[in-house]
Amino acid sequence: MIDGVRVIDFHGHVGANDIMGMVDDPDLMLHTMDSCGIDISCVFNIYYPDGTTGNDMTARFVTRHPDRFVGFAYVSPLMPADSMVAELERAIDDLGLVAIKLYPPFVHWSLEHPIWDPIYEFANERELALIHHTGTEWQAYPKFLADVAPRFPKVNFVSGHSGNTPVERAQAIAAAQANENVYLETCSTFRTPGVIEQLVEEGGADRVLFGSDTPLMDPRPQLGKIITAQISDEAKRLALGGNAARILGI
Amino acid sequence: MTSLSFKPRVPVFDANVKVGNHHNEVSPCVDRASLLAEMATHGVGRAVIYHALGDLTSPVDGNRALEAWLGEDGRLHPQWSALPLPRSLEQLQELHARGRVSSVRLAGLDIIDFPFRPWGYDPLLSWLSREGIPLWVPLPEMDPDDIVTTLQAYPDLETVLVGAHYMHAMWVQPMMKALPRASLELSRYEPIGQLEALLEEFGVERFVYGSWYWRLAMGPMLFYLHHVGLDDRELALVCEGNLLRILGVES
Repeated sequence: MIDGVRVIDFHGHVGANDIMGMVDDPDLMLHTMDSCGIDISCVFNIYYPDGTTGNDMTARFVTRHPDRFVGFAYVSPLMPADSMVAELERAIDDLGLVAIKLYPPFVHWSLEHPIWDPIYEFANERELALIHHTGTEWQAYPKFLADVAPRFPKVNFVSGHSGNTPVERAQAIAAAQANENVYLETCSTFRTPGVIEQLVEEGGADRVLFGSDTPLMDPRPQLGKIITAQISDEAKRLALGGNAARILGI
Repeated sequence: MTSLSFKPRVPVFDANVKVGNHHNEVSPCVDRASLLAEMATHGVGRAVIYHALGDLTSPVDGNRALEAWLGEDGRLHPQWSALPLPRSLEQLQELHARGRVSSVRLAGLDIIDFPFRPWGYDPLLSWLSREGIPLWVPLPEMDPDDIVTTLQAYPDLETVLVGAHYMHAMWVQPMMKALPRASLELSRYEPIGQLEALLEEFGVERFVYGSWYWRLAMGPMLFYLHHVGLDDRELALVCEGNLLRILGVES
């Protein structure tokens, strides 16, 4: 909690990626959260294309600290379409995961390709939030969100990393400006000066979501991006938790 | 206690600030006054600055252009960029003869693809060692084996390893162990929990705050350092004291 704001980190991982220095040690993650006032971290496992394996790991992880972690479901179009939807139903209805994470750079289809439509239709029917990795990879250009968002108006689409770099960030902002159901998430190892200010000024304070990429990265510098940005306290409150609580219904 | 507002609770001397423009990218700070205003916003009192021209085109011209940023109040402290070329070393030696060199930065390493080995860098590294001048070494641009092997050949040379990030998570601990005269600049070092682990293993004296502004925002890592359990004495060393010692500058 920071100055009365329940802080929600919208971008976190479950699973090990030791090669990049990432291990999902819940005690370490909780220590870093507690030391800077993060109340809840949203987590997902993107390392298993079957979805089931990773979603089970996410559910087990969240169950150990249900007041501190919220799980998102992951599926991949490397699976047959009916398997994707069945796994999403299982993950949401049986495992209690509350939103969807997708990672287009792992596959051969850009995020607006029809192969993703069964996932988007499911999310639209359930009125779920859905976060994509977006960035410089051709599958993950945020401009594609401007094509997808109007077709699935009950999904709250979140541009993970807000595209990461200037050209892609401009695409993400343009998608948010054109569509009320597009949000801009902040985690990035590119901590370029003025980015948080740009997202708030051009995308709108009601569209910005704090994210950290924990435990790939320590959440404290990523939180520091929001706290030290030259934006209003009200914009900070919305980015740190108000917007996430609204679209996740928590 | 975290709040929506943040100011550092100790004096801050930033070890890593870039000034001026690249040929293909423009700094948000157009001049000395705007940089000082940015520093004031984040509670940074002083900064070591180097010129962007040294990154991509000409360290020699960059060092000349740095003069316009320095002023006379001692708040912006010059760091001179170096290439392994006679022309570059002559410039540094001329500046040193006038008492103006307290640190040097390796430049252009990712452009020239020239291995950081004693056979190419000995004139520069021997001179720095003899004169007791510390060297800033940008990690993202270099081969880790070159760094360790070469710097071990100059055991008296004080170094600051700059810009390690999560992709270097495997390097940093063994590199600091292998290089006892090396300090770690922290602008990009975000692997979860590893800063506390390194502080525990190596002691607070081997770490310096740097922002790497304007490549990165000035505030986030300073905020981070205030949330890793350091007491005021330790925090003051990381944010200012260790850098003063490395530069040989009085507070």
